[in-house]
Amino acid sequence: MFDPFQLALTNVSLPWHRLCPQLLHMSVFSQSFSPCGRFLAAGNNYGEIALFSLAAALSPDATTANQKPVLTFTAHEGPVFSLLSTDSVLLSAGNGEVSAWNWTELIKKNVKPLWTKRPNYKSSLEIPEINSMAINPRDDSLAIGAGDNNVHILDLEHGAFKATLQGHTDYVHCVCVREREAELLSGSEDGAVRMWDCRTGQSVHCIEVHKYESCARPQHGKWISCLTTDSDWMLCGGGPSLSMWHLRSLSPTSVFPLSGCQRQAAFHQDMILAVGDGAFVSHCLLGGEVKGQIPCTPPSLNTLKLNTKSSEHRVLTVGGGSSKIDVFTNLSYRAFSLSF
Amino acid sequence: MGAVTDDEVIRKRLLIDGDGAGDDRRINLLLKSFTKWCHSPGSPEEGFTQYQRMLGTLAQCEFSMGKTLMVYDMNLREMENYEKIYSNIEQNITSAHDKIAECKKEIQRAKRIRKNRQEYDALAKIIQQHPDRHETLKQLEALDKELQHLSHIKENVDAKLELRKKQFHVLLTTIQELQQTLENDEKLDDDQSQESPAQNGE
Repeated sequence: MFDPFQLALTNVSLPWHRLCPQLLHMSVFSQSFSPCGRFLAAGNNYGEIALFSLAAALSPDATTANQKPVLTFTAHEGPVFSLLSTDSVLLSAGNGEVSAWNWTELIKKNVKPLWTKRPNYKSSLEIPEINSMAINPRDDSLAIGAGDNNVHILDLEHGAFKATLQGHTDYVHCVCVREREAELLSGSEDGAVRMWDCRTGQSVHCIEVHKYESCARPQHGKWISCLTTDSDWMLCGGGPSLSMWHLRSLSPTSVFPLSGCQRQAAFHQDMILAVGDGAFVSHCLLGGEVKGQIPCTPPSLNTLKLNTKSSEHRVLTVGGGSSKIDVFTNLSYRAFSLSF
Repeated sequence: MGAVTDDEVIRKRLLIDGDGAGDDRRINLLLKSFTKWCHSPGSPEEGFTQYQRMLGTLAQCEFSMGKTLMVYDMNLREMENYEKIYSNIEQNITSAHDKIAECKKEIQRAKRIRKNRQEYDALAKIIQQHPDRHETLKQLEALDKELQHLSHIKENVDAKLELRKKQFHVLLTTIQELQQTLENDEKLDDDQSQESPAQNGE
């Protein structure tokens, strides 16, 4: 059963080989829930992906063993900066390439990827990292925000890269899809949020957030690290303060007085949840007030995900500069932590 | 009373042993004293007192039986009462569940409404910052009028310029023609004066 040759082939890391310092320096960069909503996949800076069973961890008779992963495997040679789930597949991005894993196979602990693709980067000197991915459900395409300053579009049906959106002058931190208008939004280190038309591949608008006095924070910089939209409104932040924009008029409506740099934000019912520098999840109202800040274990947070696909395991999970992932069953307090 | 076996009777008697000990003994004593009284040769007063005593014991037994029957009735009614309370509580639980579900839906609605209101407020804030539409329209109209006025003036000035140009042109051409005619006349005069001396010299 524990044939080392077999294990070496399948790249499964044995828990007792993990040394303490490795856990200390671990950062969780990305998370994704399974399509059934019962599992959580998390990617860290060592290129590993861990699968946690939410059903087991949330059951009334859960033990500390249920808060450990059911499966951990090395997916990429570099940090896994982005994870995304479709109806049946988990997409992971690391070391400049995108790999696809079948969820049912992963649940059965079979870690063979379905495919691995690399966008055609012009420079061959260094491998640009993939910072963010987003799925456009309309034409089943994957938008990849990469470190070569471009957004690459991969057609998931045919498996071929169909377009490259050029326009940013520095690497792309985050991408998201504006479903109703069939547009793509990308935020980059150069401080610009660009809106791209999915059909023509042209940049329709370019908002330089740091040029707006109300949002700009020159002491932090002009980079945009967090971007999310719900078709009419957009949240963006990073160097400049987290601000909410009305997309039709391209004007900032509210600026949130959060001190650190925000790395991920999400719309949830009538609130905005944001994580970034600081060991807390900020709850804000759309008008610009900060309703509260809920403390968490990691000293700073990189990723925030809400399990909207499941009705019984409706949780919020956050991960960041620690090997622990906090789980919130009620948004007001941390219930427990999963650990790598 | 049909097919009640001895076993069951014995079991029941053992079960109500605690309470039945006094009554059971009393009934047995009564039976024994009755048989003794029937077979006793004693005096009629003794027999009478014995009879009175037996009646007393019988009354006691009847009394205790009456008490047990009443207790049994009471228990039955208590059971009914508890059943009622139980079903009542169950109903309350289900209605509370329903109310909770309703309230949850209400909360969702209220949250949506609040979100819409906040979005509206945010947009209204921005719109307020922009100037009023009427004022802008009025400004536009005024500018339009000025523009028209100025273009009107320009047209007039252009027309005048054209007219003056034409007039000058006419003047200059007339002057040129006059000059031509004068030169021609001079030449004719010269020719004529040259011809006549030649004629006179002959």
